[in-house]
Amino acid sequence: MKAQELLKYFNEDLFILDVKAKNKDELLAELVDRFVEKSYIKKSDIVLEMLTQREKLGSTGIGKGIAIPHGRTTSASEVMIAFARSKDGIDYEAIDSKPVHLVFMIIAPPQDENNMYLPILGKIVEILNKSKNRKTLLSIESFVEFIDFLAEA
Amino acid sequence: MIKKELELLVALQDLDMMISDISEVKRLGFEAEGEDNLLKAREELISKISKSLLYSYEKLKKHYKRAIVPVKEDNTCLGCFIKLPTSLSTKGRADSEVIYCEGCGRILYWL
Ligand SMILES: [Zn+2]
Repeated sequence: MKAQELLKYFNEDLFILDVKAKNKDELLAELVDRFVEKSYIKKSDIVLEMLTQREKLGSTGIGKGIAIPHGRTTSASEVMIAFARSKDGIDYEAIDSKPVHLVFMIIAPPQDENNMYLPILGKIVEILNKSKNRKTLLSIESFVEFIDFLAEA
Repeated sequence: MIKKELELLVALQDLDMMISDISEVKRLGFEAEGEDNLLKAREELISKISKSLLYSYEKLKKHYKRAIVPVKEDNTCLGCFIKLPTSLSTKGRADSEVIYCEGCGRILYWL
């Protein structure tokens, strides 16, 4: 999978350069609320429950200031990805105990046509593993810059 | 807090999908060691859902992999893509009763 193929899953509605959240629970709630507010999902509690259970399996704060909360839910009809950034850092109980600055939240439907969910998840991990990419994401100032970044990643 | 039975069933399916994805997610480099926690959460959910509904869920799951399917705003079942009658969607959107698709027989969840 190429990074460019990810472009269609992002939307300016779900792009937040300065999240308010200070910890994991606040962050998950803030992002899920955004999905509801922009009518991408109907109700927050089912998605929030799914993401909270996912964290019980192991933190999606995978280290190096990154968190990728993710999961399939019956309350979604398509794959959607929210991007959020925190300048101050979020206490996310990450595996390296460091604060999280970059967040990609991936919500997937129970079945998607070409089963894209896991390849998408893998591609995002791959992109964020490169320190050059993390640095760029920490410095972008707009959704347009973000899209330009993905198109070239 | 999830209270309605249909929503509890949706949460159960979400949990079951998560459990079946564990090995793939680990392969991608995520930490996923707490399977016991999910199984415990599953037991708790099951205790709040009626036996008859659980029976249909398990039976449909064997046949289709996903027992519950979302219904899009235009009333299309995302399992078999038939268009459902509007009379059903009024009831369905209230999430207060369990409705089965006339086309594929799966449990419907209105988005
Ligand atoms: Zn159907």
